[in-house]
Amino acid sequence: MNVLNLALKLLWRDWRAGELTLLLASLVIAVGTVTTVTLFVDRLQQALVAESATFLAADRVIRSADPIDPEIIAKAESMGLQTAQTLGFASMVFSEDRAQFSSVKAVDGDYPLRGRLIAGDEPFVRGAPVDEGPAPGELWMEARLFPSLDVQPGEMIDVGVASFPVTKVLIKEPDRGGGFSNAGPRVLMNLADVPATEVVQPGSRLSYRYLFAGDWNKLEEFSEWVALKLGPEARIFGVKEGAEGIGEALDRGERFLLLGSLLGVVLAGVAIALAAQRYSLRHYDHVAIMKTLGATPQSVDLIFIAIFVILGTLSTMLGALIGFAMQAGVAEILSPYIPIELPAPTMKPVLLGLVTGFICLLSFALPPLLKLRSIEPVRVIRRDLGDPSISDGLTYGFGVLGTLALMWWYSQDLYLTMMIFSGAVVSLVILFAIAFLMLRSGRVVGMQAGSAWRLALAGMQRRGNENTLQILVFGLAIMLLLILFLVRTALITEWQSQIPEDAPNHFAINISPEDVSPIRSLFDDNGVGSQPLYPMIRGRITTVNGVSASERDKRMGDQRDDAPRSSSGRNLTWSGVLPDDNLIVDGEWWPENYEGPPLVSLEQELAERNQLEVGDELVFTVQGIEIPTQVANIRTVAWDNMQPNFYIIFAPGSLEAFPTTFMTSFFLPKEQKLFLNDLLREYPTMTVIEIDALIEQVQRIIDQVTLAIELVLVLILASGGLVLLASIQASMDERMKQHAILRTLGAGRRLVLGSLLIEFCALGFFAGTLATIGSEITVFMLETEIFELEYSVNPQLWVLGPVVGIVLIGAAGLLATRKVVETPPANVLRELA
Amino acid sequence: MIKTKELGKTVSTSEGDLTILKGIDLEIKKSESVAIVGASGSGKTTLLSLLAGLDTPTTGQIFLGDHEITSLDEEERANVRSALVGFVFQSFQLLASLSAIENVMLPSELSGDSGAEAKARDLLERVGLGHRINHYPRQLSGGEQQRVAIARAFASSVDILFADEPTGNLDTTTGQHVIDLIFELNKEFGTTLVLVTHDQRLADRCDRAIHIATGEIVVPDPVPQVISSSAV
Repeated sequence: MNVLNLALKLLWRDWRAGELTLLLASLVIAVGTVTTVTLFVDRLQQALVAESATFLAADRVIRSADPIDPEIIAKAESMGLQTAQTLGFASMVFSEDRAQFSSVKAVDGDYPLRGRLIAGDEPFVRGAPVDEGPAPGELWMEARLFPSLDVQPGEMIDVGVASFPVTKVLIKEPDRGGGFSNAGPRVLMNLADVPATEVVQPGSRLSYRYLFAGDWNKLEEFSEWVALKLGPEARIFGVKEGAEGIGEALDRGERFLLLGSLLGVVLAGVAIALAAQRYSLRHYDHVAIMKTLGATPQSVDLIFIAIFVILGTLSTMLGALIGFAMQAGVAEILSPYIPIELPAPTMKPVLLGLVTGFICLLSFALPPLLKLRSIEPVRVIRRDLGDPSISDGLTYGFGVLGTLALMWWYSQDLYLTMMIFSGAVVSLVILFAIAFLMLRSGRVVGMQAGSAWRLALAGMQRRGNENTLQILVFGLAIMLLLILFLVRTALITEWQSQIPEDAPNHFAINISPEDVSPIRSLFDDNGVGSQPLYPMIRGRITTVNGVSASERDKRMGDQRDDAPRSSSGRNLTWSGVLPDDNLIVDGEWWPENYEGPPLVSLEQELAERNQLEVGDELVFTVQGIEIPTQVANIRTVAWDNMQPNFYIIFAPGSLEAFPTTFMTSFFLPKEQKLFLNDLLREYPTMTVIEIDALIEQVQRIIDQVTLAIELVLVLILASGGLVLLASIQASMDERMKQHAILRTLGAGRRLVLGSLLIEFCALGFFAGTLATIGSEITVFMLETEIFELEYSVNPQLWVLGPVVGIVLIGAAGLLATRKVVETPPANVLRELA
Repeated sequence: MIKTKELGKTVSTSEGDLTILKGIDLEIKKSESVAIVGASGSGKTTLLSLLAGLDTPTTGQIFLGDHEITSLDEEERANVRSALVGFVFQSFQLLASLSAIENVMLPSELSGDSGAEAKARDLLERVGLGHRINHYPRQLSGGEQQRVAIARAFASSVDILFADEPTGNLDTTTGQHVIDLIFELNKEFGTTLVLVTHDQRLADRCDRAIHIATGEIVVPDPVPQVISSSAV
């Protein structure tokens, strides 16, 4: 027998009879959604990383205190990577009669490799993007330097022993960044002019940066190669390691998009499983008849596997095609709202969509079809025979394995996979039990109620197992959507709170003690919101409980990577009050006006990594004098709150005698930027570090990640809708038959529709409630373990979940079954016979 | 053509084992027509399913042609069915998604016969449905559906035709036509006919009848003359 030929004929006949519509639609939409999401996420991710790369002005940067081996640059160029170089140093610059401490950056003609420089001809204007930095013999300066040096564009400025005309006003550079080496207003010059200034001398504090950009794989290869070549004073990094706030936002954003794709795959799988189950059910009699006519189990297998392969190939191809077109459409529609340009889609996600489609088919659609081989031919005579003997364990086993494999493949993260998977399994087991109990209680209530209610609830009870399963499927779909929604909300809230609108955007250091109170008044007079002024003094721990701190460090060296060492020199401060956002985790904070033996407070990571505990005796060396202290408490610090933060804080009374400087942070809105000039003119010894540009850039990237997340959420919602529809369709025959019989017995439209509505709403309510419980459990695990967020219970969910369930399932169910009251009962029964 | 030895069938129920058939010994010769007769629940349909290899017995042996089908697995039994057996069911059992001709072609397609379509067309003409070959089961009356089923049963030139209450769902006149058709084709193709019925008139048209009561072959009480004569 030509199996393929027969399979094709059967497939065509099934298609003609409308048996394939739902299965094909599920497959196509499942593959389509996954391809769309994957493609879109891939493009967004590429775009975000590219956008973030402008933060470094490159894809990779080597930072070093000394020039690096020229062989490294040669290697990068031979690999086809673009390169550029910058050199940063702090220096005084002079006009005819004024001087200003500034942060000089010398750049070559290829800088920047990513992002654009923005420059203008006049100070305090908007400016326009330019392709290159200053030409040799020219100098650009930040707008604020013009008034403070009292110069106009075109006039001469001295850097070291050389003089240059200021030809442009620097408005923005992509890799401005923060940090102490960038303190002070920026002067940009050409790298070729640096020797002439004679500023670079042995012992100068210099920051060499070598920039690289190009093909991602080549960059990875280059990074691996170069990491071994670099000495301890140099390191290579990309945007994720290079910019703390952005790296974390990107990481979490990527994890979310990944989670979205994962849930999309699971939803698609469930939709396929349901559609395939229905297809298989409707073919039980078909196969039984074929068997009486001589079809062997093997030929049944061959026929349906052939059908499966043909169907799978067609639908995955079609799905991938639709996915490709859809993501292009989505990107096009959304382009006005996406502030970054999306790179062209690559073929990888299309391939991913195709493979995903086939794995989904194998694990979700094949098992129900394989059941068909075990249909007993005697079924043609005895219609009461139940499901074929092939075990459900095998069917579910396939699905479970497929889901796991897909999740792992997508996430490349076994921990995340196991986390979601075990969460879902535990939830499902608990939920199954609850669903069953709910159905039973529904029956009890139903007995006391009116006829439509009684009919609906009795029907639900009678098909107890099927309905429990259906509640679980509905619940799972709603649960996955709620999870995504909750995690998204938590992430966005976290990001927004991470950098509030009025977060300090400038640091001021090197403030002398006598300037503390006038500066505070100046801030107050100008309405500038500032943090307290903290004294800052260098010092180090020399002994811990009588043991040399550096000896301890050496001993513990192996177990620690980049953890703070106890013996390193640190900025110390003292305070009577616990700084904002610091939390005591062990011991107690001292009274504000503490007078007594010296006490210190340690930051948690420093304490833990160095095995320091409350009560330990530490001896500090500050300016050559030893201070014995005791650890009074351990505290956590919010490092990203843009405020002065310290690893070690002393209690009042121990450090006041030492000469010290003060530091603070403050918020200065853009329009008040000139206030800096007044401040620096009046207090020339202090240094202001401007991080407003950095904050703005972080916020913009976070906004983009947020938008990406919302988009993916919408796509997954569509996929969830499909599952609901497939699930309702799968149980349709039984419901249609029952209600057609009721209609023949004279039940009115009202009663039938009423009982259907009640049944679906009750299913929706149960499913919504289960989804709420399940999503709370999973979100708790996800937020605490994967996204490292603070978990809090979501009270609104307990209303939202059941309501969403009732509305969605009630509406979809009624829409799908309304045919039963519109079609003559005889037709319905004849069709289902 | 068909032979059984000590055939028995027991099923487990929640109230313990239930014996449906026990100690059935029978032999049906080639081209013979035999009616299996009995009251509802007597076990006649179970006997038919066992004889046709659709179900497996708990005890005993069944020989179909040269094959002892009780020692075969489902795969081999299906091959025997394909080669030897055709069916006509009370509820027609046509595939709703296939047209009349496609239903008749199915056995030939399954056994890989060439010329399935010409043969099916021919058979449908033969049962008087040449003008309705492209109609779907739901577009045909009960009698027409059963005629399609009969055409299907003879489509792959089988040796034995099993019929399970073939007129059970039809009115008397239509039923009579269907019976005429079965016997006519049976004679023409030289098949062995085994049919299950509780219709005495139908049983009387067969060469002999096997009576089943509570799972055993019994010798029937003498039939009152008046009924017997009216059936002839």
